[in-house]
Amino acid sequence: MLRSLRLKRLLQFNGKTLYNVSRLLRSEPTKLTTVESENESEAKLEKKSMSKAMKAYLERAQAHDEFMKQQNYEFQIGKRHLANMMGENPETFTQDDVDRAIEYLFPSGLYEKRARPIMKPPEEVFPKRKAAEFDETGRPHHFLFYTGKSNYFNLLYDIVEHINNLNKYEDSMLNKNSYPDPNTKLQLDGYQWMDKEALENVLIEKIIDKEYTNFVNAIERLYNHPYSYRIKEFILKYRKPLMSQKSTSDLPKLQYDSDGRSYVTVYECLRKRARGHVTIRAPGSGIISINGKDLMYFEDTQPREQVIFPLIFTKMLNKVDVEAYVEGGGPSGQAGAIRWGISWGLRSFVDDKIIESMRIAGLLTRDYRTRERKKPGQAGARRKFTWKKR
Amino acid sequence: MASLKRIFFGKHSFINQRNSIYSLIQQNGMSQYPSYYIQPVYRKEAQEELEKSGEIMKITHVPTRAALNDQTSSVYQDELVNLFINYVMRDGLKTLARGLVEKSFENIKRIQLEKYHKAKTEAEKQAIEINPKNIFHQAVNNCKPLLYLTPIKRGGVKYQVPVPIPDKRSQFLSMKWLIEAAREKERTVHFPEKLAYELIDAASNTGKVVKRKLDLHKQCEANRAYAHYRWS
Repeated sequence: MLRSLRLKRLLQFNGKTLYNVSRLLRSEPTKLTTVESENESEAKLEKKSMSKAMKAYLERAQAHDEFMKQQNYEFQIGKRHLANMMGENPETFTQDDVDRAIEYLFPSGLYEKRARPIMKPPEEVFPKRKAAEFDETGRPHHFLFYTGKSNYFNLLYDIVEHINNLNKYEDSMLNKNSYPDPNTKLQLDGYQWMDKEALENVLIEKIIDKEYTNFVNAIERLYNHPYSYRIKEFILKYRKPLMSQKSTSDLPKLQYDSDGRSYVTVYECLRKRARGHVTIRAPGSGIISINGKDLMYFEDTQPREQVIFPLIFTKMLNKVDVEAYVEGGGPSGQAGAIRWGISWGLRSFVDDKIIESMRIAGLLTRDYRTRERKKPGQAGARRKFTWKKR
Repeated sequence: MASLKRIFFGKHSFINQRNSIYSLIQQNGMSQYPSYYIQPVYRKEAQEELEKSGEIMKITHVPTRAALNDQTSSVYQDELVNLFINYVMRDGLKTLARGLVEKSFENIKRIQLEKYHKAKTEAEKQAIEINPKNIFHQAVNNCKPLLYLTPIKRGGVKYQVPVPIPDKRSQFLSMKWLIEAAREKERTVHFPEKLAYELIDAASNTGKVVKRKLDLHKQCEANRAYAHYRWS
């Protein structure tokens, strides 16, 4: 029993042992009984030559496997309990349901989202681990093992390799007297390099800030090569889009009132301390009503200008009616809230090109800037008290 | 040979072109926006220019900041005037500052119209600029200094060294001097009136502010012997 177990374990992890065993089996195919004893001596020999590092690794790996198994088991049980608590079917209880249940059962006002209670599968909670990096004699598999961060330096190595290859290619093209076409140059505007955390997840290695900047510098250099389009896939692996297109193209559906006019209501128009909701009706004649009054609701010119800014920008000033209700904040904030509400609602009435130009004009971005708080020990948010020596 | 060619033709191989909007290290302190957010292009004409030059393709996937609350695409909007209003403003009283500048523009219009109607011949009438905004631009342009003096310490002695002035700084000085000139007045005269006179004077290259600019130029000319301290 013990013997077979040991054998199994040996057979498990590498080709070399397997090869030895099979050679043994080949040389003495008839004496099946002795094979086992032979095998044992072979295993002992192998075991002697197995490095301490490998042994320690195996122990750690086993412990980790068991730990994960236990965690998984507990997670499954917990999920079932949660489903029962919520009165739902535990068999069809998905991760989304778990998240919702946790949010309902453990409401948290903590600002940092990562500090709120969660319940995720253990694979997400506990970081991934590297597989064995060396064989049982202690010889590392990877040629960059002794750098301590083999995956990271391998990535840098790959980048340099690509640059060299592209340079070689450029040289050959220059010898043929052909120059890189600027039109085929790789254009990845609107993307940014993977951030440090994401890169660490890909590499399964912790890297320091300086190493991350080195990576960015190297890959930027590769990206700026005139022939970089030849290795687009490699570069794209480390780039992610700056902005999701969904947010601005997700249009609310038009509704129709009893007169047959189409309208859209935008709720939660926020700016500074002001909040409100805006309804846009089309076709209209340019009537603007704010809290029941017309544009004269604002006493100053600037907020009035702000309210009609999206309307003049899209040339819809006399084609729609606007009805807005705002409260809280001052005139500037209220005008800003209405401006955002009108631009957000107008998207349903204009074409895609105008939506895009509205976005570039900064009309569709929600302005999150607010008053900065006063700090203790200071006269204001930034202003310090007059400094006196004593 | 080929590698030599690359050095000459392929600029990329030794110049690292880094686009500032993609800089990932956050350098914007307390800013609410991530560093890659670009400034909005809120004027229709500016956007059309971008479209013509094809640069609009570059920013199609880059998020923009929200337009500020004194920026509109209205025809009455003028960036330089906005800046001027901000320089006139004290203690955050923007409404007051804007009112003062608008009032002074109104005064300019009145003065110029009066001149226009008093002019006898058609040629004289044509020579009179009536648009206050044009007069303002002309005035700011006329008051921009080309050089200014900066103290540089050499051998324990501070020398006033004439140095060429950056465009933005000279624009600021020009506007600051205009405002200072308008604030130097009797108590019975109002700021908008005085500012209107100063602007009209400066637009015709006369008056206190232009004189101040010329004085500075003269001083720079007098200190030209120290000019080499700028680099040695």
